[in-house]
Amino acid sequence: MSVSTKNASQMQTSLYLIEDDLSVRDFVLHTLQARPDWSLVGHSDSLAHASAHAADAAANVYLVDLGLPDGRGEDLLKSLAKTNPGAELLVFTVFGDESRLIGALEAGATGYVLKGCTSEDLIGAIEQIQEGGAPISPLLARMLLKRFRGPDDVAPVQAAADAVVKQTLLSEREIDVLRLVAQGYVNKEIARKLDISMHTVGSHIKNLYRKLAVHTRVQVVRVAQERGLV
Amino acid sequence: MGGVLRALARVPAWTWVSALLGLILIALDLVSRPVSVPGATALTSATAVLRRVGAGTDDPGESRAVRLPHIWDDESPPWEGDAQYHLGWPQGLEPTSQRIGLYLPRVGARFRVLLNDEVFVEQNWHTVDYVDTSVVPWFFEVPEKLLLPNPKDNRLVVEVRGQLLRKSGLSAPVLGPYELVQQRYERVYWWQVYATWMVAACSLMLGVLTGLLWLHGRERVFGLLAAACFSWSVRLGLTPLVDPRMPFELWFYLHKLSFTAYCGFLYLFLWDLFDVRARWARHLVVALLCIGPFWLAATTWVANYNLYRIWTGTIAAVSVVTLTMMFMRARWGLDNNQRLMVVVGLVTLITGVRDFGVVQLGWPGDGDLRWMTPGSLVFMLTLAWVMVQRATSYVQKVGELNRDLELKVREKESELRLAFEQIREAERTQVLESERRRLTRDMHDGLGSQLVQTLNMVRSGADVDARQVESMINHALEELRMTLDSLEPMEGDLPAILGTLRRRIAPALEAARIELEWEVEEVPAITDRGARLESRGVMHLFRCLQEVFANIIKHARASRVTVRTWTQEGRPMLSVTDNGVGLGPGYREGGRGLSNIRLRATEIGAHVRFGDAAPGTTVEFAFSATATTGMDMSSP
Repeated sequence: MSVSTKNASQMQTSLYLIEDDLSVRDFVLHTLQARPDWSLVGHSDSLAHASAHAADAAANVYLVDLGLPDGRGEDLLKSLAKTNPGAELLVFTVFGDESRLIGALEAGATGYVLKGCTSEDLIGAIEQIQEGGAPISPLLARMLLKRFRGPDDVAPVQAAADAVVKQTLLSEREIDVLRLVAQGYVNKEIARKLDISMHTVGSHIKNLYRKLAVHTRVQVVRVAQERGLV
Repeated sequence: MGGVLRALARVPAWTWVSALLGLILIALDLVSRPVSVPGATALTSATAVLRRVGAGTDDPGESRAVRLPHIWDDESPPWEGDAQYHLGWPQGLEPTSQRIGLYLPRVGARFRVLLNDEVFVEQNWHTVDYVDTSVVPWFFEVPEKLLLPNPKDNRLVVEVRGQLLRKSGLSAPVLGPYELVQQRYERVYWWQVYATWMVAACSLMLGVLTGLLWLHGRERVFGLLAAACFSWSVRLGLTPLVDPRMPFELWFYLHKLSFTAYCGFLYLFLWDLFDVRARWARHLVVALLCIGPFWLAATTWVANYNLYRIWTGTIAAVSVVTLTMMFMRARWGLDNNQRLMVVVGLVTLITGVRDFGVVQLGWPGDGDLRWMTPGSLVFMLTLAWVMVQRATSYVQKVGELNRDLELKVREKESELRLAFEQIREAERTQVLESERRRLTRDMHDGLGSQLVQTLNMVRSGADVDARQVESMINHALEELRMTLDSLEPMEGDLPAILGTLRRRIAPALEAARIELEWEVEEVPAITDRGARLESRGVMHLFRCLQEVFANIIKHARASRVTVRTWTQEGRPMLSVTDNGVGLGPGYREGGRGLSNIRLRATEIGAHVRFGDAAPGTTVEFAFSATATTGMDMSSP
C-alpha cells in the first residue's frame, strides 16, 4: 500500500464516524492522535442519528459500519452518495466478506477498511482513498467482472440512456486490472505487468467502484423500463 | 326450421323408423299385388305342349291345359326340354285401333314369342352357355303387320326352354294398350332390378366400411357385420343377371350359399351386438353356416328343388327362432336402440316369411318381387346406425376413462412431487448439516484452539507479552476470515482461491523474509466429483496450501517461493516451489505434514507430487476439471 502525504497534507481532512462499537471509536480517536491535521467532525452510533446529522457535517471521509443496531449501513451509504457526492465513503467491516461488500459498493461506497487493522493501516486506507486509489480483493475483482459482463450491457442501448450507459462500460485497461486482481496479483505486480504506475492502478479500481454504483442504478432503471414502470 | 329439426331429434329413432318401414311395406304390397291393368288382359290359362329332352323332331309332345303361372320344377317329374304355350287372344282387344304391348312378368330360362307362326321375339334361344331370362321382366310391342284383322284368328305362342331348379315356366302374360302395359312393366322392373342393384351397392359400401373397422380394431362384431354385408351384396349382385357368364351349377351354388352366409353372419352379429349369451342358438347358426355349403352342393348335384325348399325353410325357422329370442331379450320399455332393433327385426322377419311363402309355397303375390331386398337395406342401415351409436358411446367412455386416468396421473404426479420435495428437503438438510459440522470442526480446530492457547497464555502468568497476545488474536481472526472466505462463491476458480489465500499468508512470508513470486494464470475450473469445488473443498485446499507454506517457512530456509498455475491436458495445475534446502528430514515423504496434505488433496480429487527443485522443493497439484473454464474472462 503506498502511503503518500503529498496530497493529504494539502487538504484539510475531516472524518465522520458511524459506528455503535465504542472500542472502535476509541481506536479511531487513538489513530487520529498520530495525524493532528485530521479531525473527527462527528460521530453517530445509530442509523437514525446518522441520517439526521451525518450529511450536514460535510466531512471529507465517512467511516460507515454496515451492521448498525437500527438498520442497514447500505441505506445510509445510498443517501450520503446523493447528498455528499464529493465525500469518500469508507465501509468499516470486520471480515471484508465480498458478497456484502459488493452490495455496499453498489450503494455508493468508495472503499473499505477491515476492523482490527492497525492505526497505520487505517491511516494508509484513508490516504489511499483520498489520493484516488481504492482497496480491492481477488474475489471482489472476480465479482465485479461478472457484474459488468453479460449480454445486458452490450444490448441495444436507448438513445436517452446512451451517455449514462457509456459511463458504466469498462475500458480495456480497467478489465485488464480487474482480471489481474482476480488472479491474485497485487497492485505493484499489476503496475509492472501493465507498465503503468501504482497510482493509476489504484485510480482504475476507484473508478470501477464509481461505475459499479452508476451501473447498478442504470440496471435498475432499465429493469424498470422493461417492466413498464417508468 | 331449426325448431322442427330439434323436435325431430327428440323423437326416438324407433318411432320414425317404424313409420318408414310401414310405408315401405305398403309400397311393396301395392307394387307386388296382382293388379289388372285397365284395358289389358292377363292370360291365366294356356295349352302347353312339352317336348322332353332327347325327343325326336317328329315327336308331337305332350299336350295339356295349364294354369299360369306354370312352374316346371313343380311338375312331377319336373319338366325338362322345350314347351309351347298356346295362348288365346283376349276378347275385345282390337288390334287395328291401337299399339299393343306384351308384358311377360316371368318367363325362362329362354324363350321366343310367335304370332301367327311368325317369330317376333327371340331371347337367348340359341345361347350355348347358362342363361336365365326369368330373373327380369320383359316387355315387347306386338308387331301390327303380323296381326290378323279378326282378333279371334290370332294365335299367340310363347315357346320356353327350361332350366332345372330355376323355377322355369311362364307366368301370366299381359296383353293390352302399349303405354299402360309398359307403365306396369317399368314399375316392376324398377323394384326387381334397379332396387336390387342399389341395395347391393349400399350393402357393399357398408361391408367395406365395417371391414375397415374390423381390420383396424379386430373387434369381432365388425367382422361379422362385414361378412354379412359382403355375402348379401354377392347374393343381390348375382340375382338380376340374365347372362352371368358362368356354369349354371356355379351360379346356383354361389347364389344360394351367399344367402345362407348372409343370414348366418347376421344372426351371429346380432347376438354379439346385444351381447346375448344364447349358446345353443349360436351353435345352431354355426351349424347352419357349416352344413350350408355341403347341403347346397348336394342340392346342385341332384338338381332337386325340394332340397332347396327344405334348406330355405330351415333358414326361415332359424331366423324366426333367433329374432324371437331377440324380442324376448329386448323387452319393451328398455332402451331406444333395442326398440329400434325389435321393430326393424320384425319387419325383416315379415319380409322373409312373405318371400318364403310366396316364392316357395305359392302364396298369392308376385313371387319375382322379393320384399327382403328393400327390407334388408333398412335393416342394415339400422344396424349401421346402432353400430355408430355404440362406437360413439365407446369414444365417450374412452374419453371419460382418459379423464379419470389423467386425474389419477395428476394425483400421482403431485404425490411424486411432494415426495421429491421431501427428499430434496432432506438432502438440503443433510447438506446444511454436513456444512454445519464442517464449520464447527473448523472453528474448533482453528479459531477455538487459537483462542484457548491465547487464554491459557494470558492466564498462565503475570508476565504476559502484549505483542504475543496481539499476534495470537490476530492469528485467530485470520483463521476466522479464512473460514469466511471459503464460504464465498468461488466456483472452483483456482486463481481467485490462490489470490484470497495470498492475502492471508503474505504477512507471514514477509515476516520470514521470503519473497513471493506470483505466476498465476487462468485455468479451467476445479471440479470435485463432477461439480465445481464448493466451500468444503475450498477449505481443504486452503488448509493444504497453508500446510505447504508453513513447511516452507519452518523448514525450507528459502528466500523465494514461486506459485504457478497452468493447464495440462485440460486439467488445472498448481505448483509451489521454493529455493530452500530441499526435502529434508522434517519434510520427508510420509511425514505428518506431507500425509496431511495428501489426505486433504485426495478429499477434493487432486493428485499431489513432491519433487526436488534443485535447489529446493516443489509441490505439484493436479486437479480434475470439466471442459469449461472457471470463469470466462473475456471482455465485457
